[in-house]
Amino acid sequence: MSLAAGRHSTRRQFVSSLCGGFGAVGLSAMLQEQLGAAVSGPVGPHFAPRAKHIIFLFMTGGPSHMDLFDPKPALRTHAGERPETVDLRTERMTGGLLPSPFEFHRRGQSGIEVSELLPDLGAVVDDLCVIRSMYTFNPTHTPARNLIHSGNIASTRPSLGAWVSYGLGTENRNLPGFVVLSPGARGGDLWRAGFLPAEHQGTHFNHAETDPDRMIRYLRNDTLGAEAQRRQLDLMQALNRDHQSRVGGDAYLDARIRAMETAYRMQFEALDVFDVRKEPASVREEYGETPFANGCLLSRRLVEQGVRYVHLYYGPGQPWDDHIDINKNLRERCPDMDRASAALIRDLKRRGLLDETLVIWGGEFGRTPVSEAGDGRDHNPYGFTMWMAGGGVKGGVAYGATDEFGFQAVENRVSIHDLHATILNQLGFDHERLTYRYAGRDFRLTDVHGTVLRELLA
Amino acid sequence: MRLTALLLGGAVVALAQSPEIEFFERRIRPVLVEQCEVCHSSRLAEPMGGLVVDSRDGLLSGGSTGPALVPGNADASLLLKALRYLDPVLKMPPTGKLPDRVIEDFQAWIASGASDPRGAPPEAVSEDASESGPGTPIEEGRSWWAFQPLSERLAPDVSDPGWTLRKVDAFVLAKLDEHGMQPSPAADPRTLIRRAYLDLTGLPPSFEETEAFADDPSMDAYGELIDGLLRSPRYGERWGRYWLDVARWAEDHPTSEATNRPFQHAWRYRDWVIEAINKDIPYDRFIRMQFAADLLPGFEPADMRALGYLGNAPVYHKDRRLSRDVIETIASDDWDERVDAVSRGLLGLTVACARCHDHKFDPITAKDYYALAGVFASTWQVNRPMVALDAERASWLTWKHEELYRTKGVFGNLKDLDTVAEELHAEILAMKPAYERLELELSAYEVPMTPAVVDCGVWVDGSTPTVTRMDLRPGQPRDLPVFVRGNVANPGEIVPRRFLSVFEPGEPTAFKQGSGRMELAEKIVGEAGPLAARVWVNRVWGWHFGKHLVRTPSDFGTQGQEPTHPALLEDLAARFVVNGRSLKWLHREIMLSAAYRQSSRDDPEADAADPTNRLLWRMNPRRLEVEAWRDSILSASGELNLAGGGPSSEVDSPDVTRRSVYSRISRGRLHPVLQLYDFPVATQHSPFRQVTTTPLQQLFVLNSGWMQARGRSLAEAVGSVSDRAVRIRAMYRRAYGREPSAVEVELGLGYLDERRAVIGREPWDEYAHTLLAANEISFLN
Repeated sequence: MSLAAGRHSTRRQFVSSLCGGFGAVGLSAMLQEQLGAAVSGPVGPHFAPRAKHIIFLFMTGGPSHMDLFDPKPALRTHAGERPETVDLRTERMTGGLLPSPFEFHRRGQSGIEVSELLPDLGAVVDDLCVIRSMYTFNPTHTPARNLIHSGNIASTRPSLGAWVSYGLGTENRNLPGFVVLSPGARGGDLWRAGFLPAEHQGTHFNHAETDPDRMIRYLRNDTLGAEAQRRQLDLMQALNRDHQSRVGGDAYLDARIRAMETAYRMQFEALDVFDVRKEPASVREEYGETPFANGCLLSRRLVEQGVRYVHLYYGPGQPWDDHIDINKNLRERCPDMDRASAALIRDLKRRGLLDETLVIWGGEFGRTPVSEAGDGRDHNPYGFTMWMAGGGVKGGVAYGATDEFGFQAVENRVSIHDLHATILNQLGFDHERLTYRYAGRDFRLTDVHGTVLRELLA
Repeated sequence: MRLTALLLGGAVVALAQSPEIEFFERRIRPVLVEQCEVCHSSRLAEPMGGLVVDSRDGLLSGGSTGPALVPGNADASLLLKALRYLDPVLKMPPTGKLPDRVIEDFQAWIASGASDPRGAPPEAVSEDASESGPGTPIEEGRSWWAFQPLSERLAPDVSDPGWTLRKVDAFVLAKLDEHGMQPSPAADPRTLIRRAYLDLTGLPPSFEETEAFADDPSMDAYGELIDGLLRSPRYGERWGRYWLDVARWAEDHPTSEATNRPFQHAWRYRDWVIEAINKDIPYDRFIRMQFAADLLPGFEPADMRALGYLGNAPVYHKDRRLSRDVIETIASDDWDERVDAVSRGLLGLTVACARCHDHKFDPITAKDYYALAGVFASTWQVNRPMVALDAERASWLTWKHEELYRTKGVFGNLKDLDTVAEELHAEILAMKPAYERLELELSAYEVPMTPAVVDCGVWVDGSTPTVTRMDLRPGQPRDLPVFVRGNVANPGEIVPRRFLSVFEPGEPTAFKQGSGRMELAEKIVGEAGPLAARVWVNRVWGWHFGKHLVRTPSDFGTQGQEPTHPALLEDLAARFVVNGRSLKWLHREIMLSAAYRQSSRDDPEADAADPTNRLLWRMNPRRLEVEAWRDSILSASGELNLAGGGPSSEVDSPDVTRRSVYSRISRGRLHPVLQLYDFPVATQHSPFRQVTTTPLQQLFVLNSGWMQARGRSLAEAVGSVSDRAVRIRAMYRRAYGREPSAVEVELGLGYLDERRAVIGREPWDEYAHTLLAANEISFLN
């Protein structure tokens, strides 16, 4: 036994010497300083940014603006009618005007009208910048989602989060810069890097799970504990150093040695960061304990750790796609969304993070003021609501307007390119200059469009 | 970089221009183009209200209500009045008032004199495609190097003729001489044989093969080695996969709605490609077959699989409840994908840039674009039988299968009857029994089918207000109109299907046979053959060397990079054509060269002078692609299953040990392991694989069940010899094809001892996993 121990200690020293003296503790201390230069650096902002992080709360399916943020009393007086102005083609067959049964109340100092379905968001409305005049042009889910995510209907262009990662990189090399929280892996192509380098693609985590082990693919080694794995890694890195000394210096080999260390540490960092169960009970209570609430809370934890962009999807599938039974569905679905979204705003604010974090809320389109199947609403890309909060945009603002029934954006119309241009602006980018050369030309997130919504900036 | 290449609407942003003009170009023109020209363009037969806004004269002369513009007087200008939305009648655009800031821009622009550089209406010059628009005129564009005929070049004089082994070496050494640099020494035999094996077959050599070559590394032995590898079926599995990248092959569509169900037999195209590469089908025939195998002399039924190049192309979902324009836009996106894949993939030309306007930099017009797109608007994806049948029976089967696929898809799309107009209900309800009958009927024919295309014009029928139908006309081709600014709602002049005008002096000849796909293939390998050869030779060079001669391999236009070795590329491409466009000839020519056989060892001095190795002073070290890396690990663990072909399997199932080329490839849900390792997303052509190195990749390496299973297998494969050093040696031979150094044996023994002290046994599986996870196996030097 003592003999073995003796050999052991010599060998340990021997290994250490091969690793340049870092064998026993791994390479982490040395590497941490080098990590910043690990891969090709980000483009960097063009001017001083107002926001450092984005949290996009994506309401998959297309929530109904007329029932949530855009009151239309005329729907009551014209219930069941189908005036010419609403005779617009959407995806499916629709009937007459369908009033919202929900009361709207003026909330906050700003007095912005918010639906009774959203008491908590109403309470923070002075922090919200509500855009009631969003529009796109495609009434089908997939292309419409592509538009919101990438500014184009095809499934080929880089996602907003990938552009942000390309532009800014990440503050925390132990975590990806672009994190996607989606229950179930549906829609993997929405967080694509497109033609941008693949490192900018979103990294998907399933926040329907609260146990990080189950949330992150290959995060845990089911046979080796941390100590044993550290020892395995030390051996591997010793072999890697020896290999490199034989074949010569190489950027790829360096990068892989570093990435291996980061992966090792990420296992534990992620176990901590991704575990919302480590939050005090009072905080969890404030958010609620639904998957969406966990996602909101996790978004805050990630942003705190330097993740640039979190894209959080509400539910698997398309929960806001209320073709039937919309009123009943909204009554059931809104409390969870309302409570968690408002808690996120308050929590970020308390921690001083709201100033540097731009929160965006919305779906791929809104819904029609005319009914589908009597008690549902069809897809409506002609006019809908999104809101922003924090990150240097004005709070307590209601901007733009749809027509008297809520079908088309008519006043201060905001295209998705305008929104993208504004988001990039808050991160310190001129959207016309954040470009990537591909297939013979320079591509932008905003293509040839987009105007920064300067009136909305604080 | 900034604005030089950015296109604003239909406008070119010239750089040195007056602030007034710049204001117009940036703030006014895009709005006119986006918001007004749909109804007020001189390209329209009847512009609304007689007003056109695409020229200064148009605005000044105005429409039926008078001049739209009074320069210097904003308030007197009807244009501004309409934009302001204050007039009870005159409100523009009708879709809604523009943002106040835009209206303020117009006010400022008119008040300051309405500077406008636009001359006559564009229609005046658009008659002749060769002169239209601001793109490079065709004649002038023809002088670009990539469009010149190919010719063999004389080998240049070099400082050290003894170094050159093949003709390419003279070109490489001459460049190095010019810069006062020297090539690297030859790689040692063990490095070279590993390079050659992985390069040609994607698998490492065995220890014994390596040692045998180390004993006789003569030129003859090396030549025989290359020939042997080229005869191995493993070769096609490696090089076929490269082609599949170019062909953006996958087994499903970007989305998976009822109308867009995955291909059942996409793997048949993959298998055809592997076979074709193994057989060394000449490149021109290889291309022809993929467009028109069914129309070529000597057609064998199994050749039908080649049509998968078009038959497996991505299609976007078309919800039949949407309007005609929306559906036609989606269909035109499908055609656009084909134009892009063919033009960038085979010709290194960015023809898709000309969808909305003439190409800004290369001699490609919007008419050229729509002439090509018409070929794809005249084909339809179907499954076709790949056995010998009489033509009538084959056609019957093809269209019955098509009908089944489409009826089932449309039914799935519309089956929720509440969402469609009542007059359609009966028709929709009848679809289910109809396709079930078809299923039953077709179940009687066990004929293998393969994704392909047929000649069939595709129109979009919007005549029923509540549903949009695809109007398929088998045998009738469709010439497309130029969709002005890419907008299907704004069709311009109809363009006959034909090839790019830059390749044909005089009036380009229209395609006459069916869709024109065979004529298109003929043009690609004929008139454009020199360019196609350059593009292919450059790709092959890049796969061998890790870096291309033209480092933008899918853009040989003026926005791409020029070759690092122009004469080398010209000469090699010319000789490639002379040598029957044989890929195997090309491999030999490259791999037998001294340039290829160089060491990849870094040299600080040379690196400082030429950090990206443009001059080829060494071989480029590189990371193995995910397929070769995974296959190397399977080979090391002794588990590699060489059964080839057939339906695909999941890349990371611990029990799947087939070669990676047989992994399932999805467009919509690419497997995370493939995604992690930079496998290209096959929704469109991608020029080359990126190399990223991320922590998430290493989580797979450290923790996945797949990697751990390989470690266990490697440990089992070396057996339980009592001498631990012997076991370590056996593992090294398998994993790295070499003997371990004394230091490496010591490291292994130390690890095992240490672990035994903790867990009471020696974890050989962990140790084996560590060897497989280390850098060496993923690295090609």
